[in-house]
Amino acid sequence: MTPGAAAVSVASSHARDRWVFLLLPLLVLPVPFLVNRYIQYVLNLILVYVLVGVGFNIVIGNLGQLAFANVALFGLGAYASGILVVHAGWPWWTTIIPAGLIGALAGILASLPALRRIRLFYLAIMTMAFGELLRWIYIRAEPLTNGSMGLAVPPPMLLGIRLQSDRSKFYVFLVLVVVMVLLTSRLLRSRFGRAFMAIRDNELAAAAMGIATDRYFVLAFAWSGFVVGVAGSMYTALVGHVTPEAFNLLELILHFAIVMVGGLASLAGSVIGAIVLTTTPELFRSFPGVQELMLSLLIIGVLLFLPRGLVSLLARRWPLFHERYYRE
Amino acid sequence: MALLELDSVTVQFGGLTAVAGVSLSVEPGQVRAIIGPNGAGKTTLFNAITGHAALASGAIRFRDERIDRLAPDVVSAKGVRRTFQNGGLFGELTALENVLAGLHTQVPTGLFGVLCGLPPARAAERAATARARELLELMGIGHLADQPARALSGGQQRMVEIVRALATRPPLLLLDEPAVGLAPAVREQLLGVIRRLVREDGIAVVLIEHAIEFVMTVSDRIVVLNNGKVIADGTPADVPRNRHVLEAYLGH
Repeated sequence: MTPGAAAVSVASSHARDRWVFLLLPLLVLPVPFLVNRYIQYVLNLILVYVLVGVGFNIVIGNLGQLAFANVALFGLGAYASGILVVHAGWPWWTTIIPAGLIGALAGILASLPALRRIRLFYLAIMTMAFGELLRWIYIRAEPLTNGSMGLAVPPPMLLGIRLQSDRSKFYVFLVLVVVMVLLTSRLLRSRFGRAFMAIRDNELAAAAMGIATDRYFVLAFAWSGFVVGVAGSMYTALVGHVTPEAFNLLELILHFAIVMVGGLASLAGSVIGAIVLTTTPELFRSFPGVQELMLSLLIIGVLLFLPRGLVSLLARRWPLFHERYYRE
Repeated sequence: MALLELDSVTVQFGGLTAVAGVSLSVEPGQVRAIIGPNGAGKTTLFNAITGHAALASGAIRFRDERIDRLAPDVVSAKGVRRTFQNGGLFGELTALENVLAGLHTQVPTGLFGVLCGLPPARAAERAATARARELLELMGIGHLADQPARALSGGQQRMVEIVRALATRPPLLLLDEPAVGLAPAVREQLLGVIRRLVREDGIAVVLIEHAIEFVMTVSDRIVVLNNGKVIADGTPADVPRNRHVLEAYLGH
């Protein structure tokens, strides 16, 4: 057997093993029948934050840009859904895609400074300011958002069914998460995803390979915005009350931590990060003050010993967790 | 008909003239070396050809078509491909993924097909992967396919970068210091690769190089740049005897 043939067989076994990832959602199907209402709520929150992390990771992990508009995209998705339900009377499920599109639009807006070669720290502070600006707008646009009191949104409707319980929301969220993660995985494992990472690693060389860098820049931001916008819509359906406070800088740090603790530029990492960072504060809920401490220690500890995030720990044992950006 | 034609190309950065009225032409199947002291404007000339640097004046034609106002990705798609002086690989991607990125414009998939996982899009991606593996095999580095580019040795990176640039079978290849820092054996191998490309595929190669014996063996014509100007243009036999060249190199 030639070395090349060996490489092919390794790679195709990798392709075969990826089916495991499709089994995971099936495994969690019975979980809502085994847990109490509180844990169910936390599980739903995890699903929301999986998409928050997946979307954010595209821009900071795969495209490698210090763009911190994520909390703005999340808030816009949440408010878009809430406003459409409350003021336009749309059933919640019809607001999911509009919320995603608003997020995508805001993502494109956030990519514009980067296209004008405003990068690194400059892009970071500009996109953070964008998030704060939006928070100011949520507070001031009282007729639409009910200002700092927050917008109360009735229970979500899906095809005429009222999703009253967190259990029913869980299954809807699970479908949304599976679909969005699958689409994102397909995008990243194509010439589009490779273009994002080529730009990240060497923008001049990417252009020399015939990659229209500006176009892929905008695409990465738009897709990221879409995914996070959908997460925002799910958030509205979950909590039923959208306030400007929910989209502050602390929330942004949580988003950032999900990506970093899980693993930059790793789809599986985003999922792991969302699970760990949503669960940790909940575990210490009954010990006031300890929550923040544990969260901080977790972030510092993981990044000190695993700079590539928790996913690198799994990748050591199971090569499956090494992302491959091609089809075989 | 010349494949590539530079007509009084001038490139300026602020007040500094990096390339001053350079004219030269490259024929199909020709190996042309550009030599000259550091800061002579060699890499800037490459950047001008590939659209990475804007011209202050002059014109660049590729297959009789003006390419000097085009963006780098458009120039690349027309068939002008290059490597970079300090290594232009995508470090976090594997050798295979680097070559696949090199094939970017030749993977006929749209966003819709990719997101929906349509069979034609999948098939196109698979075919590209097979092609990329084959290209690495042909260069004798198939075993490196799944290594991250940053983990490869300098010589291996150089080879992968050349495979990546050649993936689209371009008629013109620009190599920026391909032999620098390579072990003699690897250098021999590189020499063989360049000769094969020229002989079998009729590719024209322009290379910037300091290793003078490498240049002498491989090139059909040598251009000498100094302070952004062409001071000599001739065969490997003529150039070393040129008075201007001796002055530039020896400082007389």
